Amino acid sequence: METIDGESFGEKYDLFVCLQCGKCTGSCPLSMRSQLSPRKHVREALLFDNEVVLDKEFLWDCTTCATCRLRCPRDLQPVEVIIGMRSILIEEAKVPATVQEALESTFKNGNPWGRAPSKRDEWAAELSLKSASEGAEYLYYVGCTPAYDPRVQNVAKSLVRVFKAAGVDFAILGNEEKCCGNEIRRMGEVGLFEMLMEDNVEIFENYGVERIVTSSPHCYNVFKNEYEGLKAEVFHYTQLLCEKLDNGLLKLTKELKKKVIYQDPCFLGKQNKIFEEPRKLISSIPGVELLEYDREKERSVCCEGGGGRMWAEATATGERTAETRVKEAVALGAEIIAVACPFCMLTFEDAVKMTGYEGKIEVKDISELLVEAIE
Amino acid sequence: MKIVVCVKHVPDTAEADVVITPDKKGIKKEGLAFGINEWDEYAVEEAILMKEKYGGEVVAITIGGKESEDTLRRCLAKGADRAIRIEDPALEGSDAYALAKVLCAVIKGMEYDIIFTGAQAGDDGFGQVGQTLAELLGIPHAALVTKVEPQDGKAKVHRELEGGLEEVLEIQLPAVLAVQTGINEPRYVSIMGIRKAKKKELKVLSLSDIGLSPDEVGEKGSLLTLEELYIPPVEKMAEILTGAPDETATKLAGILDERGLIPK
Repeated sequence: METIDGESFGEKYDLFVCLQCGKCTGSCPLSMRSQLSPRKHVREALLFDNEVVLDKEFLWDCTTCATCRLRCPRDLQPVEVIIGMRSILIEEAKVPATVQEALESTFKNGNPWGRAPSKRDEWAAELSLKSASEGAEYLYYVGCTPAYDPRVQNVAKSLVRVFKAAGVDFAILGNEEKCCGNEIRRMGEVGLFEMLMEDNVEIFENYGVERIVTSSPHCYNVFKNEYEGLKAEVFHYTQLLCEKLDNGLLKLTKELKKKVIYQDPCFLGKQNKIFEEPRKLISSIPGVELLEYDREKERSVCCEGGGGRMWAEATATGERTAETRVKEAVALGAEIIAVACPFCMLTFEDAVKMTGYEGKIEVKDISELLVEAIE
Repeated sequence: MKIVVCVKHVPDTAEADVVITPDKKGIKKEGLAFGINEWDEYAVEEAILMKEKYGGEVVAITIGGKESEDTLRRCLAKGADRAIRIEDPALEGSDAYALAKVLCAVIKGMEYDIIFTGAQAGDDGFGQVGQTLAELLGIPHAALVTKVEPQDGKAKVHRELEGGLEEVLEIQLPAVLAVQTGINEPRYVSIMGIRKAKKKELKVLSLSDIGLSPDEVGEKGSLLTLEELYIPPVEKMAEILTGAPDETATKLAGILDERGLIPK
């Protein structure tokens, strides 16, 4: 198989050293419910021509949680092989309609949600926030989903309140902000990703941005690990707020007598090893009892919101992982599932409704819990 | 089969707030996202599907500034063979008739079997360019086309009528077919595909290149003059529901129920 750049998959992803041990497929949260099988796809990439992938609609099932990468004894990246296969599908125009819409909107509007770029800052209309042109210590990169989604807008609003309470000097890009491209790259649209990266690096440079803080682990991941030429330091908000907590600048005073369980976002935990900061923030709220899933931290289970899955109807059947996680949380006696990622927020909100636990358990972003503890 | 497809680069105003310029003749373009006119996207796809099935050539044509090359490049990436853009300062203020004259001047010397246009444009919504162009070229036309089956110098064409009715016509080729949305599923074209298509020919022509004088286009050459654009006043009957999505949905359901619009 050849990548869209004409390299062989074997060489590009170093697949010759694969043992075919199958740990990747064994650890894949989708392989039990879909034809997705990282081990098999690695083998296919070595043995067959590109035509083999053309009818594999299930390649869009992968959430790019990267557990396969984490578990591989040969340090291979089966997830990247799947992304490479998606790139072939993209170039061959074998794209599910919903993915196509998201990609076309990102090209045209700068966001995958089909929303007007001039409405991006509407969530902040009454907050009188500094704009990037005024300069600030941090650029708060809001992200597409917190900017547009009515539920997740509350995360952006909560973060603003907490940042202000902790004395963080920050500005936003407003309508100039555009998609970070983390999901776009994972949907296999390499050209569009590069375009977004170049545009964003230029915007950050123009405003002399030195520090970026993101709402989403997905934006954090791509800025931190995949952007070429980005000079700014990148933080997920849980890191920044944990530092403010340690310095005594973020004071959590109000009691919240709740049992809270934390869902590690894959792009924060597994992929960037940020496990402690979110937990410290939650457990520092007076009255909160922090519970843990049996499968937590590196063993945590993906919510199925990543890798473009917000825009792809999966072929996978059976119970969604977020529903399994909600049931586990209820069984453990949790009253709140705390998340730190816009996609986890949306998949879990759906899962609470689907499992019929509405009213019994709530989904809240850590920023929303912090607001309750400071006001 | 020789195919011409006429496309337009238009602003997306579905959600964005539209602001009228002080001269009341246009809208402010800053902050608006531009792209290929929705109907034209289907017209281009239909043109390329025809070429893929019967062989031949697809030429994409637009009238507009440099920025409208984005739309032409998309057409080239999707499979059009070459593109033509007509730009001239004298075109400002042209109505559908004047634009059809321009397209006619470009197309009349070309070989063609089918000219596809979108049934209308998302910005001015005239829906007249296709028919006027056919009239000027002296060839038949069909509008709101939902299916095309070429056969021996003719084509069987389905048209969408009101009330879910469909009309089937036999039309002599060459003809102008103004395409309705939904006729096909426009394909995705990647950024890499657009970059690769940069090698394809994109010719830029002025009015003199196509043999038209400035008086034949613009306001002088038009049958219609735009007097004023305005945003319709909000009627008193309109009720805007506010609140969280679940609150507004509950209110809306209540109103529908009250008026007997929910079947029991």
